[in-house]
Amino acid sequence: MHVMPLRKVLGGTQSLSRWVAALLALLLGMAALAGTVVTTGAPAQASTISRAVKGKTFRIATDTTFAPFEFRDTTGELVGIDMDLIQQIAKTEGFKVEIQSLGFNAALQALTSKQADAVIAGMTITEDRKQVYDFTDPYFDSGVQMAIAKDNEEIKGYKDLKGAIVAVKTGSEGEAFAKRNASKYGYTVKAVDQSSTMYEMVKSGNAQAVIDDYPVLAYGITQGNGLKTVTAKVRGGSYGVAVNKGQNQDFVAAFNEGLAKMKTDGTYNKLLKKYLGGQGTTGKGAAAHKLSFFGLVRQSFPALMLGLKNTLLITAMAFVIALLIGIILGLWRVSPNRILSWVARIYVAIFRGTPVLVWAFFFYLGVPQLIGHKISIWLAGALTLSLNSGAYLVEIVRGAIQSVDTGQMEGARSLGLTRRMALRRVILPQAVRIATPSIINQLVIMLKDSSLLLAIGFGELLYQAQQIYAANFRVTETLFMVGVIYFVAITLLTWLANILDKRMNR
Amino acid sequence: MNQTLNRTKSELEDSAMDTSRLTQRIRQTQQSDEQGQTGVAIMIKDLHKRYGDTEVLKGIDMEVKSGEVISIIGPSGAGKSTLLRCINALERPSSGSVTVYGMDLSDPKTNIDKVREHVGMVFQHFNLFPNMSVAENIMLAPRMLHKTPKEDAYQQALDLLEIVGLKEKADVRPTDLSGGQQQRVAIARALAMNPAVMLFDEATSALDPEMVGDVLEVIRSLAEGGMTMILVTHEMGFAREVSSRVIFTDAGVIEEEGTPEQIFGTPQSPRLRSFLSKVL
Ligand SMILES: Nc1ncnc2c1ncn2[C@@H]1O[C@H](COP(=O)(O)OP(=O)(O)O)[C@@H](O)[C@H]1O
Ligand SMILES: [Mg+2]
Repeated sequence: MHVMPLRKVLGGTQSLSRWVAALLALLLGMAALAGTVVTTGAPAQASTISRAVKGKTFRIATDTTFAPFEFRDTTGELVGIDMDLIQQIAKTEGFKVEIQSLGFNAALQALTSKQADAVIAGMTITEDRKQVYDFTDPYFDSGVQMAIAKDNEEIKGYKDLKGAIVAVKTGSEGEAFAKRNASKYGYTVKAVDQSSTMYEMVKSGNAQAVIDDYPVLAYGITQGNGLKTVTAKVRGGSYGVAVNKGQNQDFVAAFNEGLAKMKTDGTYNKLLKKYLGGQGTTGKGAAAHKLSFFGLVRQSFPALMLGLKNTLLITAMAFVIALLIGIILGLWRVSPNRILSWVARIYVAIFRGTPVLVWAFFFYLGVPQLIGHKISIWLAGALTLSLNSGAYLVEIVRGAIQSVDTGQMEGARSLGLTRRMALRRVILPQAVRIATPSIINQLVIMLKDSSLLLAIGFGELLYQAQQIYAANFRVTETLFMVGVIYFVAITLLTWLANILDKRMNR
Repeated sequence: MNQTLNRTKSELEDSAMDTSRLTQRIRQTQQSDEQGQTGVAIMIKDLHKRYGDTEVLKGIDMEVKSGEVISIIGPSGAGKSTLLRCINALERPSSGSVTVYGMDLSDPKTNIDKVREHVGMVFQHFNLFPNMSVAENIMLAPRMLHKTPKEDAYQQALDLLEIVGLKEKADVRPTDLSGGQQQRVAIARALAMNPAVMLFDEATSALDPEMVGDVLEVIRSLAEGGMTMILVTHEMGFAREVSSRVIFTDAGVIEEEGTPEQIFGTPQSPRLRSFLSKVL
């Protein structure tokens, strides 16, 4: 009964709708700007290289970023050992490939559902996997290796690790190896999520050594991640290309033949050297030419602008939803209708009382399992941000309505206006004015919170940065750039929003 | 100014004569005077109001006839505002009844909003809407409730502003006016709905002394124009001058009531006497 149709809420307080429209235009304008910069460096999704000999095209699914096997180079091209290998073999064998960069789990799903013919993604051949997939001959012998800071002269082997902290990647082979030998050598294992984080820990002295997948480590060293190896690699699993059991056997045969040719003619070793430096090098002198900071900026710019665009777009989407939630439930919250008021209260309590990340995982990973239907990452991200911010906006709107002098409502009601009319014509316009600075503040918080969505793989600004330094290990500089971009974007947004506020609300 | 007011008032009433059933009922009540019955505007019976444990009104009985000007006086905290606010349902009685032109406010079937259209109220702190111009303040209720066309509503606002002597302020924001000017706008705003009764709750208490005269002047001309009014006031001289009846309340009860001469000339109860000795 005390719920206004939305049209009326927004229509009635014209200043609000105009103001929101202007804010949105701001966000979207900035996103478009970031977008124009990005198109110049937009990555090509699929590429076919070979002259068709057999003319057959295979759909190859792969991970998004698993350097040095697959990652995007500075031009946005998907490169890496896997990519170079499959392209070269396709060339010599005369088939075509269509690469689908999906992420590891998604790639396997695509294979299972026959959306892809094969998966090449630095995939270890295991007995379990052999039950489900057929593998090509192993094309890479992996394993784990230890690395230490380049300038560390004390540690020469495992025995020097007594009392040290050893960084490993959660769930990796390196972690298993490190834990197995921890008591023997007397070090402590500390597991983190990303290779780049581990390397920074070693460089910053928070850990003395890192044990990581040998190829990842070797590649990092070629990229000048500031580490070196002092021990030999420990042999582990071998990587192979997977196809569905009993299917695409012609592809398997062609791959095996091509791989054998590459091994004999030396192109295979050349390929490995390109990404890993000399086999078994200690890293000394293996570092590639190091790009200047400005070179790095130029290189990373397209990806970062794409990230910024996504950040701004999802923030804009979520902001609209959050404002609607904030206004509607804010009105419910102050409504004399107990039920509505409690619904709003409970909503606020739930979303203020739970971390954003929990909801991100819930909407992206949990809900699809409940409803049996995939949820787009944009939807999951926008829901996460808007439901969280919506809760704060409900409180902002409630506070603003309640801070309008009670005499205003009484004055309006004494004239015979209904509660709804009074809210619309007298209270809300004043409340909007009071709330505007807090709403702008919430928008900024939202923009910053959107970086949390990297956890579900949403391609926003910080995610793009992670992708960049996962490939080039220039963590500090990349983060610095990201910080500057956020700062500039937020400062600009706040500044323009405040100007709008002054224009429209005074 | 008085003549202008009287003329405009009657014109307004004539033009709005058939706009609602309630207006007709008010007419009928006023006409029933001539048939020998009392034209009762407001009837209050055994009105109690509690806030939690404290009883603010402890059984008020009161009758206001059409055309009467009643002043309610009494010490601060006596319950004067609460009583006034019960008459346009800004407060709900804990028990007892308030009837406005035959409409029982506690009856769920009564449309309170409709009743309020006919009961204008002027507050101590004006309660003008700062997000609108002076004219828009006055136009709001006629536009929303009577669907009066914008031009007509604006013209009416100008007429009313002329009555209160502020025609040239039509398009400024209320916050740009002095307190006295704001209160006169508030009166004009209440008059825009052409009410049958006007309630004033210490309309001059928040004003600088030099502003009080202008506002009292407007109220006086309303009284002379025959408007039924209830004034809660601390202006004893004014109350004595314009009232047909004065009610003295203390601690939630009507302690004494009578003509201005009786109340101010020959007060009976000791409380009234001590109150008067303090304020006069
Ligand atoms: N909303 C309220 N809640 C609790 N007590 C109230 C409220 N409004 C008024 N009162 C109390 O009721 C008493 C009478 O108030 P009021 O009617 O404003 O008196 P007056 O107008 O005569 O000064 C005072 O003691 C006041 O504190
Ligand atoms: Mg009072």
